[in-house]
Amino acid sequence: MSTNRWFATGNFYTTYREEQRIFKTHVDRLFFILFLMGLFAWPLFIDASNRNMLVINNILIAVVAVYGLNLVTGFAGLISIGHAAFVGIGAYTLAGTARTIGDSHVLITHCWPLMILVSGVVGAAFGAFVGLPAMRLKHLYLAIATLSFQMIFTWAIQFMTFFNQGQMIAVGRVFWIHGQVGRSDHYRFWYYVILVTAVICGLAVRNLLRTRYGRCLVAVRDNDRAADAMGMHPGLTKVYAFALAGFFAGIAGALHTYMFRGAGFESFTLHHSIIYLAMAIVGGLGTLPGSLLGPVAIQTLELQMEHLSEWAGSFLPASMNLATALRPLGFGLVIVLFLMFEPRGMANWWRICRSYFKLWPFRY
Amino acid sequence: MKRKYHRLWIVAMAVGLALAFMAPVQAAETYQLGLSLAITGPTSDAGNPYSKGAEDYIRFVNETKVLGDAKVDCPIRDDMYETAVTKRNFEDFLDQEMVLFLSYATGANQALAQDFNEVKIPVIPASMDKSLVGMSEYIFLPIASYSHQYVGVAEYVAKNHKGGGVPKVAAFIHPSAFGRAPLEDFKAAVAAGLKLDLVEVVEHGKDLDNSALLQRLQSKGVQYVLCQTVQSPVATLLNDAQRLGMTAASFGEAGKITFMGAHYTGGNDLISLAGSAAEGYYWTTAYHVTSEKGPWTDWQLDMAKKYERDDKTANSHNYACGMMAAQVAVEAIRRTREAGQEVTSATLYETLNQMNGDKAFESLAAVGPVTYGPGDHMGVDTVQLYVVKDGAFQSEGEPFKPEFIK
Repeated sequence: MSTNRWFATGNFYTTYREEQRIFKTHVDRLFFILFLMGLFAWPLFIDASNRNMLVINNILIAVVAVYGLNLVTGFAGLISIGHAAFVGIGAYTLAGTARTIGDSHVLITHCWPLMILVSGVVGAAFGAFVGLPAMRLKHLYLAIATLSFQMIFTWAIQFMTFFNQGQMIAVGRVFWIHGQVGRSDHYRFWYYVILVTAVICGLAVRNLLRTRYGRCLVAVRDNDRAADAMGMHPGLTKVYAFALAGFFAGIAGALHTYMFRGAGFESFTLHHSIIYLAMAIVGGLGTLPGSLLGPVAIQTLELQMEHLSEWAGSFLPASMNLATALRPLGFGLVIVLFLMFEPRGMANWWRICRSYFKLWPFRY
Repeated sequence: MKRKYHRLWIVAMAVGLALAFMAPVQAAETYQLGLSLAITGPTSDAGNPYSKGAEDYIRFVNETKVLGDAKVDCPIRDDMYETAVTKRNFEDFLDQEMVLFLSYATGANQALAQDFNEVKIPVIPASMDKSLVGMSEYIFLPIASYSHQYVGVAEYVAKNHKGGGVPKVAAFIHPSAFGRAPLEDFKAAVAAGLKLDLVEVVEHGKDLDNSALLQRLQSKGVQYVLCQTVQSPVATLLNDAQRLGMTAASFGEAGKITFMGAHYTGGNDLISLAGSAAEGYYWTTAYHVTSEKGPWTDWQLDMAKKYERDDKTANSHNYACGMMAAQVAVEAIRRTREAGQEVTSATLYETLNQMNGDKAFESLAAVGPVTYGPGDHMGVDTVQLYVVKDGAFQSEGEPFKPEFIK
């Protein structure tokens, strides 16, 4: 590596430690810090509507959830079709606590960071439990096991009176230094909380991948028997991957519950599991930028399709329901085309972009 | 000097022109509503015609100048039965200064109830879940709740059952709060003295064959099956009963089963799905149905024709539901304007709460007037029983008010 880390170009490392750096150059670090500053500062200058803040918060929550899914499916190579259920576990940990001790209990309203963490831990416990079949199952068989968990979760929530049979369980407004966070500040407050959480989780994932535990995930994905021969425990690694996925999903679930001020089963169905999977695939499986780009792309696409459908409805004949059909058709078509022409996901665009600047101002 | 006056004259002309163009804009007010519902996804078979009903009525209001020069703008958004999307739509509508919200699903209304209370905005939902009015004082159900309709059916059984003993009934319900909540009210009615014997509660799945279920019910002596779900599982049940020869030819026929249900179990969609098996099916709702001629149903069909709706939509009671929800909203705006008040969420809330006594609203879409008051947010209090005869729903008796429900 160049001794001048401001103007380093190309790949030239003299130590393994250098190769494992999060930021290869100071310019990388600078851009990242500027990007973060931008994310934190823009709400102070731009008056975004509640609706837009809600959309952005939703994307950020999905980012946290997709971190987990990308760990288990992208890095560890274990297909999970029940990720929304893990998010639901986190959401219902909080909602169930609120139902037991009261939605305005101090634990819910004042100790919300702790509750978010607890939801993550409960999500991890469920993740580890659901991951147990991964010790014996692989590929589609494991996918079916996670699908079963999704089904059991939905059924249990809808059946158990403790969970209000799937109906909304309300959660009170939280408190911050200046007092209760009211409706006018609600979305902005949660934007910052979710953003901080997403950044911490992102850095945690990035760092995890630099450790032996992170490398274990990739090794087991690529060849579990070879990993076994090298002294890793493939079974435990898979369980551990599921636990990590459950942890991130649980945190996302608690954030969802706080932001929407309650939990109802409609937000954690199989449909949502598939959407999370679509986010991870479109973003780029097995990449950290993919976890960020996927949720942004899918949710933006969904909104654009909604607008397109609404616009088309103004001139298409009412009797044929064409405008209504346009939304799911268009959404599906764009995803299919995207996967056909860019199967490595949007993270690949990011990789190409970075490769260009890595050598800049020199070119191939 | 002359040049100075010339400039002043030009400025005055410009201001005059600007005012002339501004004046009509100020006079023609636009009242913002918002409708979020499932046009696609789960329950869209009800949501789709509902949205068209609301859309057509608003178009009619604007075209025929029901509110004079004022217009009503009601953007309709598909929430795909997802609470998160409903919330986003709700916030979007609020950003557009919505004065009244037309909502849809039970779950979404429950999720947003706290927001309704905080924003203090009146809401007219498509869901007739009784619990909603307890969750937010700003929710106004257009007609009697599912519980009222379900208990209404049960009361009809208790009153008209012929033969000895207490009639044995089974409940066939949707496996969700939507199905279970009216059942709880039914049980409360039985505890309060309604003479019925609830033999079994069946939470249906997605079964395509109910032979075993029907034979079990018959072996237990069940004579009436009371349904609280949506049309398709009821159609499957009716088809199986017909195939097994279990359907009662007349109400309460001994040794056979009479099938009955509330609101979303019936309507013309059920007849399309079940065909001749729907014969003798009893159903309660508060709406007029197009199989019976009347001023409202004629008008409903004319409207559907005018706005190029297909026959299925035109004859759907959900189309009437959508129209009526929009009708109540527009009527509240009209009355508020008539009272010389500014149309805001607060004034509309007051107007709706005064919609009783002499001020009750006769919508014609339903079998009774819409009445609201501070302690009563259920619009039409009466329900009408219909029965399928010769392939069409026909009214059975007069509209009535269930007695065994609080």
